[in-house]
Amino acid sequence: MSCVSPESKPDWKAYVLRELGQDAHRQAEAHLATCSICHEEVATLRLTLDTLSTLREEEMPRRIAFVSDKVFEPRWWQRVFNPTFAAGVLVAVAILIHGFMGTGHTSQDQVDAAVTKAVSQVEARHMQEIRAMYEELDVRNKQVANMYRNAVLSR
Amino acid sequence: MIFREVEDPDLIAKARRGDVEAYNLLVSRWEKRVFNYLLRLVSNREDAMDVSQDVFLKAYQSLPKLDDPARFPGWLFRIAHNEAFSLLRRKRPEAELAGEPRPAELNPRLLPIELSLAVETALGRLSPDQREAVLLKVYQGFKFEEMAEILECPVSTVKSRLYTALDLLKATLAPMQKAALRGEL
Repeated sequence: MSCVSPESKPDWKAYVLRELGQDAHRQAEAHLATCSICHEEVATLRLTLDTLSTLREEEMPRRIAFVSDKVFEPRWWQRVFNPTFAAGVLVAVAILIHGFMGTGHTSQDQVDAAVTKAVSQVEARHMQEIRAMYEELDVRNKQVANMYRNAVLSR
Repeated sequence: MIFREVEDPDLIAKARRGDVEAYNLLVSRWEKRVFNYLLRLVSNREDAMDVSQDVFLKAYQSLPKLDDPARFPGWLFRIAHNEAFSLLRRKRPEAELAGEPRPAELNPRLLPIELSLAVETALGRLSPDQREAVLLKVYQGFKFEEMAEILECPVSTVKSRLYTALDLLKATLAPMQKAALRGEL
């Protein structure tokens, strides 16, 4: 098949952007299998999209903070009952249950579950802190990359 | 299933009832995408950061007006679009000067590591409308209909802007990428 008439050509940009309906997509694929001109056109479009995808996502200079804004300041009970406080309370409750009930009178599974939950919350908080450290490191890496870019552009 | 991931509509519902933490979580999910979209539009990190802050503040204030929480992404980017173009209009003379192509950036013999910079330069040469169409489609993955809602224009206009932009980008980037693949760069 050849592409003598431009009207007979499928919309290749819509095709590579996954915007064709199912029927149109099937027809386009059938055409593509037999037309070298269109095959080349689609390959070039895909190459362009691949190149566009090399653009690196930039890190934000700082996070958007609403909690620090007076207007959005949390209420007193929200400040008291934060995740750290809640984790501490859960651990304390688990220990109390264990102490009062004794090993023969309590469900060990319940205590274990409470402790596991508390520990997992603390671990989640630690993970969040580690992630923040990695984000900071990433920002520093970006700064070095920018310095490199400026050096290259001024070559 | 008892446990499921908290989805955006859940957070929107809670934020509407005044739950600031729910809104903060929503912000943390979307801030990087919005920031990068704005950064490519306004071409300045501090401006992009300031506009991002404004976008999320306006979104918070306007949440009760959002009819369908499932349409939050398009609605959020529409606010971002309006804020960005408002800034661009205010800074137009300055932006036009900054947008002049620099001959040093036209060097076709780029190292592979510099492809990303070449893309940045090629995007910078598009008109703001064309660039935005590429950002919304290629980097944010919106459908044509969603883009038309964000930009408040017909789908035909969206396609026209995007297709022209792709033709321009193809002419600049495809030869460069082909040469890189052949090992000439």
